[in-house]
Order: sequence, then structure tokens, then C-alpha cells
Amino acid sequence: MRARALATALPRATADGLIRPLAALWQQRLLLALLLRREIVGRTSGTLFRAGWLLIGPALQVLAFWFLLDVVLRVRLPGHVVFLDYFLLGILAWFLVVEVLQRALGIFAEQAALYQRGDFPLVLLPLLPLVMATLVHGTLYLVVSTLLLGIGALPAAAAVLGLLFLLLLPASYLLAVLGHFLRDLRQLLPFLLTMGLYVTPILYTPDMLPAPLRPWLILNPFADIMALIHHLLQDMPVTIGNWLRPLTLWLALLGPAWLLFRRSEPHLRETL
Amino acid sequence: MNAPAVQTHSTFDASEAAAACRAPVLRLSAVAKRYRMYRSDLDRLLEIVTGRPRHQDVTALSGIDLTVGHGEVLGIVGRNGAGKSTLLKLAAGLIPPSSGELTVNGRVAAILELGAAFHPDMSGRENVYLQAAIAGLERPEIDAVFAEIAAFADIGHFIERPVKTYSSGMSARLAFAVATAIDPHILIIDEALSVGDGAFARKSFDRIMAFRDAGKTILFCSHSLYHVEAMCDRVLWLHQGRAIALGATEEVLREYQAALDRLAIAAGCMDDRPEPAPGETQPPGRLVSVEASVDGVRGAPVRLRSGEACLSIHARFWVDPKLSAPTLGVGIQTVAQQPICGAISLHDGVQVHRDPSGFGQVTLRFPNIPLLKGLYSMHVYLLCERALHIYDRVVVERAVDVDQPGLSLGIGVISVPHRWSQD
Repeated sequence: MRARALATALPRATADGLIRPLAALWQQRLLLALLLRREIVGRTSGTLFRAGWLLIGPALQVLAFWFLLDVVLRVRLPGHVVFLDYFLLGILAWFLVVEVLQRALGIFAEQAALYQRGDFPLVLLPLLPLVMATLVHGTLYLVVSTLLLGIGALPAAAAVLGLLFLLLLPASYLLAVLGHFLRDLRQLLPFLLTMGLYVTPILYTPDMLPAPLRPWLILNPFADIMALIHHLLQDMPVTIGNWLRPLTLWLALLGPAWLLFRRSEPHLRETL
Repeated sequence: MNAPAVQTHSTFDASEAAAACRAPVLRLSAVAKRYRMYRSDLDRLLEIVTGRPRHQDVTALSGIDLTVGHGEVLGIVGRNGAGKSTLLKLAAGLIPPSSGELTVNGRVAAILELGAAFHPDMSGRENVYLQAAIAGLERPEIDAVFAEIAAFADIGHFIERPVKTYSSGMSARLAFAVATAIDPHILIIDEALSVGDGAFARKSFDRIMAFRDAGKTILFCSHSLYHVEAMCDRVLWLHQGRAIALGATEEVLREYQAALDRLAIAAGCMDDRPEPAPGETQPPGRLVSVEASVDGVRGAPVRLRSGEACLSIHARFWVDPKLSAPTLGVGIQTVAQQPICGAISLHDGVQVHRDPSGFGQVTLRFPNIPLLKGLYSMHVYLLCERALHIYDRVVVERAVDVDQPGLSLGIGVISVPHRWSQD
């Protein structure tokens, strides 16, 4: 009975899972902008460079990776692609993903004062880390892409950001709810993300992996996303599987993530 | 379980507004609210995912039927845990009902926890914009009311500084100014009549009264029965989540007060008695001295014989000369805090005068006061001109020592005229 009801609700929820957040993004743009401002002030208050740290932080991390991999280890890629370009375009996208997933996990707990004492649109909260990361890391991404590949790379870099935004949308809602009610996830996620960095072709290209390990990459959706990013920006080869796997996973997550969020709304307001 | 229904309409056009004047602003039909209690958050998550109940219900409200009309001021009274806050949260749209039907027509402003949602690192201005946006205002609307909010909060250049640099009073002032600046159709007030320091408390109180005078609907929840009686057209008495009485203010409060008295007598104390508004650091008025005298003789305590002496209570006060002339109130209580009698200058039609510097003195006389043998305390209040906002209060314990010939203890505290006869 429940399975049948779920099967009926899922197609609608899948559409809602995309349309409702995007509609809220537009309709509540003033509130969202003020929340972003609140977020930036909260994260950088009392520092010398204020909001500048949001860009300086990831830029310094990039610098450290560049020093290790390009200067010390002198990693080189086979073929015409420059390793530094490959690495920077991958790692900056990865930073964006990490930021969204980590912040989404605790967003309802962090912002409880907003919705437990006022009629606040909860739908905005999982969007907050997504928009914030896209703005901050996206800015850096556009700048670095332009510096590395020229001004002509801007549209492709913007497409990468749009792609990441949409792909991460259901994950943000899903993790926001799961992280609120299953707080162990907040402890586990940093480890998973560290592992994710190592098993995703960011510090290396897929063909640098030992042959027996390469087929396993199909189990890692971030490997497909990285392949798509490098295809869009650097014209590296991509397979139809690289498109289909993340798209299928995305479609499969949209409905359940939205249903879970909607069902948890009254619980969130009641959890005092 | 009945499917709960909540309808809210937050924007009005002219025709809707006209219709709303006739329609109830708030309607609850068989509304119940049950909070779900779980052994762990994991159980809650599993219930959300699977839909299979894993909780125990705790009923906060049940079977509430209530209709509140346009321009009505409804008081909500009840002891702690009665369900008052839950009812206010339902009306404010913060939580949905578990069953029944709830209809809210109009924009709601709730003064529940002032300043709780302010971000300490953001300036007052930024917090005002954020709170107003949460309340549903667009940027031009916020721009239009911002000056009024800043002027009302009266925190000067601090409006541009981070809220973490504010005193608690300044923060509360700003929050109150925001909450009441959005021109709500329904104002929900939970124990917020005294906000910030003394002068602002009065200012905030005046704004609430202006809402009432402008015909706004107000839901007012307070332990101060005095304020409830002064402000409300009707009163709902809640007890353990159920409506015990709903009706005319005087009638319901009489029943409620009687219930409180029974409880207090049973408990041997008065810990659930309504308290006046919280203390103020800079009151706009204060009692300079309070004394009692009997037939011109002062003392502490003053001694008198029952029914034979004139008890006088002298109060010297100061009230900010910019404010209207105040009201004085006096109450006599037993040492067990049982109120016996009292008087309020406003209700007796007495105009209290002050000198140009704001000082004044009044004397209240009780000729041949018929108190029976015992010790009595004296409560003197300095109030605003409407006798609603308390500027200052002085309690003199064991201020009056009454003696009388013969046995009297145990037959009451006051002697009323009486005559024996034998047919």
C-alpha cells in the first residue's frame, strides 16, 4: 500500500524537487541575499580581510597543492593537457562540492533560530550552502578558468558551475535532513570526503590508474562529474556513460530528497 | 487521524480587506496539537522515511474551538504547561495543528521571543532588513518603514553597529520595533508588555494599545491578570491543553482567579500568582517614599484597633514630567498574601497632581478600617495614566498591626456590618 502510494507520489516529487527550490530561489531572492550576507558576516567577522577570506582560503589551498604536485613532485600528464590546468579545474570544483555537502549537513541546526521563532520558508535553507558555495567558489572558478584557458573558456566554466548547482540540488536537501536527524553523519562525512578526493580523478587522470582499478570508477559519480568538467573545459574525451550515470542518479534522488524534506518540515519546526 | 487543515492569507487587496472586516480573523475548529516524542532522532528519521509511527504523543492542546473577530482582543490565561504558547504558535503559523481546522485571515506578527533571531555580528540595520524580509516584506516596503523602525527603537548610531555591541534592552527595543512595524492584521503577544528599559517599556505598551485602538486583532497571553483584564474583550482560559472557559473577560478571570486561589491555599503558598511586569532599570517613574499612619501617628508597623481608627497611606512619587499624570494604587493583603481590599486612583476618578519637576504626594485614607485582628502588608503601585503599565511597586510587609477586643482569629479578616436577631 505504502509502496504504491510512494510510486504515485514520486514522479510529481521529482518535478517538485527541481522546480520548487528554483522557484523559491527566485521568489525569495531578497531574503536569500540577506541570508547570504548574514552567512558571510558570520563566517568572517573580526578578521582583517573580512569576506576576502572566503576566496583567500581556497586560493591558499590551491597554492599548497600546486607547490606539492607541480614544483616538488613535478607530476606530468601524458598527452597535451597541462597537469596544473587539469588539477586546478578539478580541485576547485571539488572544493565547491565539499563545501555544499559539509554545510548542508548542519544547516537546519545552525539556522534553527530563524525557523523556530518565525514563519520562515524552510525550503531556502538547503539552498543556502549551494548558493553560497556557487558564489564564492564559482567566482574563483571563473577567474582561474579565464587565467588558465583564456576568456573564451568563460561560458564553459559557467556551464560547469550551473551543472554542479543542479547536480548538487537533491544532495543538498537530502543531506540537510539526514544530517539533522542523524548527526553521526557530520562525524563521518569529513572522512568520506577525504576518501572521495583520493578515489576521484582529481590528482590524477583516469588513465593513470592501474588497469584493474579503472572499471571501478563507474561506481563513483564524482569521477563522471570530473570527466564532464574536463570535457567541457579542456575537451578531454568523455563517454556516454559519463553523462548517463550522474543524470540517472540525479533523477533518482530528486524525488526522494524532496519527499523527505517535505515530510520532515513539521518535525524540524517541532524539534525544540 | 483527521487531516489537519491550515489556511493562511498573508496579503489582502481592498475587497478582501472589506470582507475580512466581517469575517473571523482567526478560526479554530476542533484543533488539537500533539507533540511527537521519540526515543532518539534516529527513530524520528525512520518514521519520516518509512511513515511507520515510532513516537509517543504528548497532547499540548485538544478540542479547541475558537473564533476571533476583526478588532477583537483575546486574552489567553492558564498556568504553565496549559498550552498557551502552543496556541500562539499555531496562530502564528509556526507549527501545524495535528488535527482540526485552523484558518488565519491576514498578516500575523508574533512577539514571542524578542531578538532571539538577531545575528550578533550583523548591524542593527542588516538585522532589521532580514527580520522584515522574513516577515514577508519586499525591499521597497522595508525601505519605507526602516526610518520609523529606527526612530521607534531610538538606539541612535548603534543601528549601524553589530547587534553584539547592544545591551539586552537595546536589542529588545529593536526587535519590538521590527515586529510591530509590519502593520499586521493580527498581533500575537506573549508576555512582552515590558520591553527593555522603563521608558521604552511604556513606549512599547503604548504602541500595543494603539494597535488595539486601531481595531487590530490581538492575541494576548500573560500571567498578569491585571493587564489581561485591562486590555482584553474576551478571555480564553486553558488548562492542561483544554479550554476551561471562553467568555467575557471579567467573568472568566473571576473563575480563573478563584481557581488560582484554591490552588494557592492548597499549596500553602502563592507561587503561581500573577506578577507585575519585569523590573525596569530606568523607570519613567518611581515611588520615593511610602508610609502608613493611624490617626496621624506614623510607625512601622502602625497599630490600630479594628473599626475604630483611620488608616492613612502616604506615597510620595516622581514621574517624568513629560509623561501624563500617573495613577496610584494601594492594596492591603494578609501576611499570607491574600488580597483584602484596595483602591486605584483612576478608577475612583481621582486626578493625581505633580509639581513641575514631576514630584507629587498622595494620601489614601481608610476611615474606621474594619480589618480584624492580625498583621497586614501594604502594596503601593505607581502606574501609568491608564493604570496599566507599572512604573514602580513598593511592598511593606507587616505594615499594619490590628488589634481588637475579644476572640477574632479564624473568623475572617474583615468585619462587615451585621446585626443579630432572634425571632
